[in-house]
Amino acid sequence: MSGRRTGGRNIRGPHSALTDFLAANNISAAQIRADYNDRVRQAAQQNGTTNGDGTNAPEVQAEGEEVTAPAAAPAPEEPEEDEFPVVDTSRKRKRKSDGKAKEKAKKKAKKVKKGGSHDDSDFDIDRDMYKKAKKLPGQMENCEICEKRFTVTPYSKTGPDGGLLCSPCGREIAKDAKKEQKPKPNQGRKRRKAESDRLDHRVNRGTRSLVETCIDVVAKHHADVDGLGELPRSLLNKLSMIFSKKRVLNPKTLRMFLKSGLDGLELHDCANLEAEDYKLMFATIPLGESFVLKNAGQFKNETMDYMAQKSKKLQHLKLYAANLVSDKSWCNFFGLRGENLKSLQLEWMDDSFSDDTIKYMTETCPNLSRLKLKHCRKVTASSIPQIATLSNLQHLSLELTCDLPCERFIDLVSKIGANLSTLSLARFSGTDDEGLNGANDLFLEAIHNNCNKLQKLRLSYNDACSDAGFAFLFSEDWKNPPMLVVDLSSTRDIDNANPTGPEEAIGLASEGFKALMKHSGSKLRNLNISSCRHIPHKAFMDVFDPSSGAEYPELRNIDLSFCGAVDTVTVAGIFKTCPKLERLVAFGCFGVEGVVVPSGVLLIGAPKAQDEIVQVGMGGVSVDMALGGMLEKSQE
Amino acid sequence: MTSNAPPSGQTDYVTLVSCDGFEFKVQRSSAEIAEAIRRMLDPRTGFYEAIHNRCEFSDITGLVLEKVVEYLYYNEKNKDAKEVPDMEIPPEMTLEVLMAADFLNV
Repeated sequence: MSGRRTGGRNIRGPHSALTDFLAANNISAAQIRADYNDRVRQAAQQNGTTNGDGTNAPEVQAEGEEVTAPAAAPAPEEPEEDEFPVVDTSRKRKRKSDGKAKEKAKKKAKKVKKGGSHDDSDFDIDRDMYKKAKKLPGQMENCEICEKRFTVTPYSKTGPDGGLLCSPCGREIAKDAKKEQKPKPNQGRKRRKAESDRLDHRVNRGTRSLVETCIDVVAKHHADVDGLGELPRSLLNKLSMIFSKKRVLNPKTLRMFLKSGLDGLELHDCANLEAEDYKLMFATIPLGESFVLKNAGQFKNETMDYMAQKSKKLQHLKLYAANLVSDKSWCNFFGLRGENLKSLQLEWMDDSFSDDTIKYMTETCPNLSRLKLKHCRKVTASSIPQIATLSNLQHLSLELTCDLPCERFIDLVSKIGANLSTLSLARFSGTDDEGLNGANDLFLEAIHNNCNKLQKLRLSYNDACSDAGFAFLFSEDWKNPPMLVVDLSSTRDIDNANPTGPEEAIGLASEGFKALMKHSGSKLRNLNISSCRHIPHKAFMDVFDPSSGAEYPELRNIDLSFCGAVDTVTVAGIFKTCPKLERLVAFGCFGVEGVVVPSGVLLIGAPKAQDEIVQVGMGGVSVDMALGGMLEKSQE
Repeated sequence: MTSNAPPSGQTDYVTLVSCDGFEFKVQRSSAEIAEAIRRMLDPRTGFYEAIHNRCEFSDITGLVLEKVVEYLYYNEKNKDAKEVPDMEIPPEMTLEVLMAADFLNV
């Protein structure tokens, strides 16, 4: 029968792209149509209408349609039917569906107009006829679970069998659903947060301090806070840090921090502040002595001039990325406030702050004791002699991109080196082959001969200083007392043609490292020797050898990432010889594995650590226990 | 040192008093988590607080002090636990708790 039917009905609609697509994907419109007809016929039979042998398919459809329309809900079948160009769809039906669509559209429009009110009760009449209607908001209904009578709201939940639930039952259901859903997405986020906390130096044990907890709550509800009251400056700074970190420091939240009695303000991300906000800041804090304004992109000439006029007590200024301030405005500021200025720290100045401005600064700011210039593109080597005239300078940090001839720095160190307690020269490295630019052994010698008050020394990213140079610098006859912070990271040579490195060590290596630890080991707090590739295993073993009585009582932070020679034994030695160790960074040290970390210590980045990148010390694990555990592991 | 020790000696519980007169009897070990309270109660100092095992805070209200005490116990309970969630603090009293926490050094 069916074969006859399909043979007899060769109805072809227009040949569309869709038809082609369906044919290509082996979807047969005829098959679908046949299925549909079967369904219609079945429905007709159920209704007791006999229908001959169904030779006349169009009739069947039309008739069946008429009969079934009131009985079965055609809604799900509709789209399927509409897709195919069945010529013989009855007019009636068409009209009906048209009417339905119109009604729906009307309803939508009404909804929009009334803002979602549901009081038009006469919609979807046809659906109401086939099944029990869902009650609308505002109507009464019996709860599906507890059978209590309740008023339906738009938030009423649907029960397991499709009925509505009263709000207590709905809540229960929602809770269960949440429990089922939760674990998956949450776990990843939790782990992510734990890792990020650890990298923020937050040892993830015990509770956080109440102050930190409160500050987080304040930052979370920053929109509702009107004022901070009489918080002390230290707390204000902490708050402003968290606000910056969460990127909620904006003109509105800035108002909270402004109080006339303050002696300064620290804002670590001013990206959202406009020139007017800065003016307000300087107007409300006329007694401000120190300002820290980072990412101050909208700090303009007018702001600068305003600050120069208002802030008569200004002594310390840290201003990052203030690229809209012209040289003229800087000179005006130095002319007015230079006399009192004690520290000036500038970063990310691309287009202003030239050598001439520096010259003017050195003339007008004789009392400058701290100077930091980082990523200031217009500053060139010719400013170095100018800086060397600042006789009160104690802290000097430079990270410049231009070529810096070494002899000028030797000159600088010989002039003001004796006063310096901070000397930080990052990327002070030459690009020429003759080695005239950047730090070299002669410069190290100059430091050795002139500096005797250094507490912090940074000479990172250098490829000219040799191991012997460092060994000489830290040799026993250096008059400098032990230093607190030393950063000699990335003092090494990189040559793509020679990836294993030069045969003779460049940068800190065996002798230099030993001399450094001998000189400063007793007071050293922070040590960064990451990427010092030439320090051999033996040097580490000698330096961190508990059996020889070596001890570094103050050492808290060590970074020895990418020092290839470091292995588990070295790390164990460090744990043993540094009682106050808080944080050991060991990215890329592939020899470190199976470490048991003593409590209170963060070991970050050991790549072969089994479970996590950061291993936090376990509670109650003493150094000896940790070492014992490691031994066992290595024997296994 | 023992010669001028108070007759009462060191009790297991100490009393924290708020400015509006609420008294909280708190385990000494918990109370001493707060650096400031620990110093107040240090018998070597001979402070009034150390002798009478009683600290009065003229700037902290009972509500806030209650929250602080809650934290002290919370802290002690979770001393060795891992991944402890932060204690809930109602936003409206956070600033006051923050001031108190800063003062007490917790």
